[in-house]
Formats: sequence, structure tokens, C-alpha cells
Amino acid sequence: MHTMHPTLLVGPADWDPQHTPRRDYEDRLATLWRDHPHAVGAIVHGNSRDHAALAYLTHFTPKLEAAVALMPRHGEPQMLIGGGVNMLPAAKPLTFISQLAPLRDAAKTIAGWAHRLDAAGSLVLLGGDAMPYQLRRAIDDAFGNVATLENGDAALQARMRRKSAGELRIVREACAILGDAVTAFREAARRDKGVTDCILAAEHTALRRGAQDVRSLFSLDEGRTFRPFDVTIAQRRDPLQAYFAVRYDGYWADAFVRAGTQDDPLGRQAKMILEAMLAEAKTGASCRMLHQCADMSRGTLWPHPLIEETFGSSIGLSLDEPPLLSGDCDTVLETNVVYSFRAGLFSGAGAVVSAIVLMTERGPELLWPAGDPS
Amino acid sequence: MTFEERLAAIRAKLTATRLDCVIALHDGAHFIEKPDPVMVLTGFKALGPVAAVLDRAGAVTLIVTPSWDAERAAEICPDVKIAPADDLIAGLTSVLGANVGRIAIGAAGLGAMPYGLAQRLADLTPLVHPADAIVFDPAKRKTDRELAHAREATRIAELGYQHLIDIARPGMTEDELAAELRWHSKSLGAEDNFVLLCAGPHNRAVAPSNGRRMQAGDTIVCEITPSYRGQLAQICRTIVLGAAPTLLRDKYDLVVSSMQAGFAAAVPGATMADVCGAMNAVLEAEGYGKFCHPPHIRRRGHGLGFGAIEPGDVALDNTTVLEPDMLFMIHPNQYLPETGYLLCGEPAVLAAHGAQALTRQQAALVEIAV
Repeated sequence: MHTMHPTLLVGPADWDPQHTPRRDYEDRLATLWRDHPHAVGAIVHGNSRDHAALAYLTHFTPKLEAAVALMPRHGEPQMLIGGGVNMLPAAKPLTFISQLAPLRDAAKTIAGWAHRLDAAGSLVLLGGDAMPYQLRRAIDDAFGNVATLENGDAALQARMRRKSAGELRIVREACAILGDAVTAFREAARRDKGVTDCILAAEHTALRRGAQDVRSLFSLDEGRTFRPFDVTIAQRRDPLQAYFAVRYDGYWADAFVRAGTQDDPLGRQAKMILEAMLAEAKTGASCRMLHQCADMSRGTLWPHPLIEETFGSSIGLSLDEPPLLSGDCDTVLETNVVYSFRAGLFSGAGAVVSAIVLMTERGPELLWPAGDPS
Repeated sequence: MTFEERLAAIRAKLTATRLDCVIALHDGAHFIEKPDPVMVLTGFKALGPVAAVLDRAGAVTLIVTPSWDAERAAEICPDVKIAPADDLIAGLTSVLGANVGRIAIGAAGLGAMPYGLAQRLADLTPLVHPADAIVFDPAKRKTDRELAHAREATRIAELGYQHLIDIARPGMTEDELAAELRWHSKSLGAEDNFVLLCAGPHNRAVAPSNGRRMQAGDTIVCEITPSYRGQLAQICRTIVLGAAPTLLRDKYDLVVSSMQAGFAAAVPGATMADVCGAMNAVLEAEGYGKFCHPPHIRRRGHGLGFGAIEPGDVALDNTTVLEPDMLFMIHPNQYLPETGYLLCGEPAVLAAHGAQALTRQQAALVEIAV
């Protein structure tokens, strides 16, 4: 889900080995090498917007400028941090990697590191598509005959999709914070607060509960379109349609929600569609089938434009982990994957609601909203 | 200068080239140091990757992703043709149509685009010419509206700073303080805030906050940089958790003097290098010459986006000549061995007679009783 990207990530992002022990990162790296048996090292790029792979392998969140982790198959990893030598102390608590250096002459530095690996194998490149164009071209040029770059994004994304027990503990906490934020949003709406006061109430609650980040969208036209926070808006909306994404220790949870004091028939209908979809959401269920289920529940009403192409995705270290769930793909739901499902409709006004579900071997588990969504 | 006058100036620069159109590109990842040519051409701050195509006749087409954000774009840019798309390159292909390969195309913002998108654009139109200057040069001077927004952003920054003074205390983490400050500025009407904040007994620089818990005796250094309707303004401040030693007070006065020298030097016709040199001179006279260079200091100020970040850095290598309505930071922001890093800076707009601070109250060392 697209939200307005903040110019600086300011929330808590320190690495806490109680949450994610070093051993977990070693296991992830071992899996990476198994997926790329001929690779002698990995180059992992992340910037403040796209850094799921970097966070997965190093815990590091690039709050300010981009970072590149250089991870050899054998030996100690190092991290190149954007912003100069004075940024290194502030970056240190964000990762277990102890060798930090400024990200200067990046292409030359990375090629030099690759050269020192002194092996004929390939290098795995992760997050390369998010590199600035000039940097990536410089790296390609600098590598020349040094080594072959192997794009590892798809294989790693498949690994990242399945959540470990430790990751699920963090996701559950993210969902709990999301739940508190939504409660604050609804309470503000119930007390007839203006649109952005309701949004800010939710954001403040999430931040005070330790959220690393919180994003929001809301509607001023009865759920027809969504917009980011721009300026404060004192007007009220009933029902008020919003979207919140909360990040905790790297992991996202998100929700489309509605709040108000009056009867909300459109919201109820959207909820019925969601419930019909959730009833069929089991390991092995196909996106095509879930989409058809939503279609049938919607009857003659139009789908909301926001969910017309995709009605959800896996969610974790990025808001929209691939694959996106759409009606024209044969992707099936997998065990140990957390999904954000969305249902919405449109009839002049619009309504979108959502749920976060973990697929387990015992069946689906609703992570948000807590308990039965009805 | 109005937005329309600036657009006319950009069109004139385009006409002076052999290019048929300019494609302005931005990936939607907004950053204080990354200019956004799409904002310059349209005023639109995007959620996702976005492009604006300006042709020689002056028509602008805005390709907006995600497509569901198109109505917001139309509301913000009523004079622009909106082309909703869920894939930027597919949207561009559709807008350029049969002209691809037949017309001369310039691109602004290409170098900062993510490789995945930029490479697809290069595949679509291999002979794209760099055209950043066409878009950004006329944006050196802010429009009247941008200056009004900068004033409002400054007002929010000063209120935010007061909030910081009210709430900062030992035991609070830097992250908590930064997040609260960002949230508070939204409650005042800012859509974003670049809150670069850290604390310690001897800061080497200002850096992003982390989980360190602040302690009595710490010096908090912060850049508070709200954005109001897409226009940033910044204040740089230094606060002590407890009583400030006399030495720290004296050194802070020195840094303030340096800033004042910068303001005095910032007049139309001077260069950004002159402003930097004037600030350096104050510090050099006190024996801090070696601290006037990296890694202790990279620049003494900078332009303020999100659109254009011209006139660039207040740095010795910036020969940009100052003109009225330029907006930039004047901040000596100096590391001193006795005290650590000290932040002191104001947003300045250049008037006919010189630089004016947008702040109501200029930087002074503040103590918070603990």
C-alpha cells in the first residue's frame, strides 16, 4: 500500500537480541548461501524506503541515507553507511554488524571488497533495483571482470515470506499496537473530533506504544478516495474511512478501518465481503478463488478502485511483500505466511475494510482485528 | 515570482534547447537532499513513482502512480493533464505514444531514480538527455507561495522547538523525543518533519536518533525541519539537560557570531562561497580553522526543498550568485573540541538588501532544569 514516505525515519530501530538473536541472522544467511551455492558473498542494498532485505539479514534500518551490507560467505560482514564517518556511532546500535564504514566511493569500495574475496564465484545482489541509477551503473562498470552479479531478490523474498516463531512474536506485537491505534481512532471519532485529530490520535497512540513508524491515509469523500496527511482538517466525517500502517521492530501491520457514530451500511457490506473471503482463506486456497468469493459476495456493487487490482499481500518487513494477491493469479496461500486481506466496494461512496491473517498448519489465525472480525 | 512565471522560465529554457520535451522523474521517496523536479513542474508531492512531461508548448502531463491517487493530483494541479497509472513506465509509454524514438527527450531527476525503473526508462527511450538544469535553474528563486509556506513551516518549527523544551528530560530516549516532535509538528499542520536529533555529553555530529536514553548533563542537538505543503524550513538548536558550563555558553556565543557573519555576508551579488567564508572567518580567528573542514563540517547551510534545493550548499565550492527570493539555511553547525558539536541555524530568505531570518527568535543556548 502506498503511503507518503517520510523524509527521515525517526522511530526506535535499535537491534534487540532479545527480539531477534544473532543466531536467527546466521540461520538466514546460511539459507541464503544454500539458495546460491556458488556465491562467495552478498551485496545487500537498502534505503529508507526499500530495505526489507537489509533488515532481514542485518536488522539495519537506514533512517537517513542508504546503506550497503557486504556479507562474505566466510568471514565478517561489514556495513557501509551513508552520511559520512560521523554517522557511524548513531548507526551502531541498529545492527549486530560491528564493522561500519562510510558509504563513500561506493562502487569502487564494493568492487574492491569483491576483489579481495579472491574467488571465482558469483556475488548475490539484493536490493539492486532500488539503488540509485547512477550508483548501480557505477557498480556494474566497476565490477567489470571482478565477479558476476546474481540477482537474489526473488529467492530471498520467498524465504522472507514464511515467518519464524520469533518474527511472529514481533508481528503479533505490531498487530496489538495497531489495535490500540485503531481504538484511539474510533474513540476520537466517537467524540466528534475532526478528521485529522482522529488520525493523529491513532498515530500518537501507536508511537507511545513503541511503534517504529506509523503511516496513515484517510478519505474526505465518504470513502471514495484516500489521501495522505497534508494539513490539519477540523471538519468531521461520519463515517470516517482511514488506513493505518504500524511498524514495530521492523515488521508492519496494517488496517483499513471505519469509525463513526451513525449506522454504516456500506461498511457493514464491506465487512460481510471480507468475512466471506476469510472463511475461504486457508492454506492452499488460490487468489483466484478468493477473488471470486469476494465478487460473489459483492453482488452487483462495484469493487472499490483501491482493491480492484490487488486485494492484499503478504506483509512483514515491507508493507507489500510479494506476491500481491490478485484475481488473475494462481498464487495459493501458504503456511506460516502473514497476509493482509482487503475487501471493499463502491457505490458513489466507498468502503474498504481489512484483516491480518496468519496461515498455520492448524488453519488460519486472525491476528487483526483480535478475535472474530464480526 | 509566481508558479506560472517560473513555469514560463522553464519552458523558455526548454525552447532554447533542441529538446522537444522534458520528463521530470521522482520515485516518491522524499528526502531533504533529493530534489523533486515533478514538484517543481506541478506542485504535486507523490505517494509513488511519478513523472511530469513538459512539452515545448508548455503543456504538462502528470503520470501518477498509484492510479487511485489521481484525483488528489487533479485537485492539486488543476491546470495539468493527469494520467493515472499503476506502472510508471507503462504510463509514460502511453503518454509519449508514437513519439518515442521520434522526438528529442530530456530527463530531470533520472540519476536519483531507482535502477529498476530508470533502466526500464532507458530501454524505452535510449537517447534521453540530462535536463536537470532546465527544471532546477529557474527554481533557484522560490515562488511567493513557496516563501509563504516556508514561513509557516518556520512557525511550526519554532513551536515544535518549544514543545521539545517542554518535554525533553533525562531517561527519555532520543527516538521517543524525535518521534514525539515529528508527531507534534503534524498536529500543528506540517505534513512531515525531518527531525535529526541526538544527545550526549560530547556530540561529534548531529545524527539520526537512536534508543539511547538521555542523561542529565547531555547536550541535545537538533535540526527541526517541518514541511508545510511540500516546502521545508529548518531551525538548528542546542539544548543542555541541566546547567550549561560557562565554557559551553562562550563557545555557543562564538557559533552564533559565526552565523551572524553569514547573515551579514548574504547579500544579492555575493556567492554562497562568500557566505561560507564569512562564517569560517569568525571561527578561524578563534583558532578553529582546522575544524572548518570535513569531517568536522561539510557545509554551512543548504537550500530547502522538497522541490528544488537550489541555491545548493553554503560551501566554499559553491559559486552560485545570490539573488532575491532565494531560500536557504545559514547554519555554522560546528564541532569544537572543548564542547562537541553545536547546532545554530536559521532559515534565510534573500531580500534586496540582504538575508532575513524567517524565525521570530534566533538560536540561543537553552538549559532545561533537571
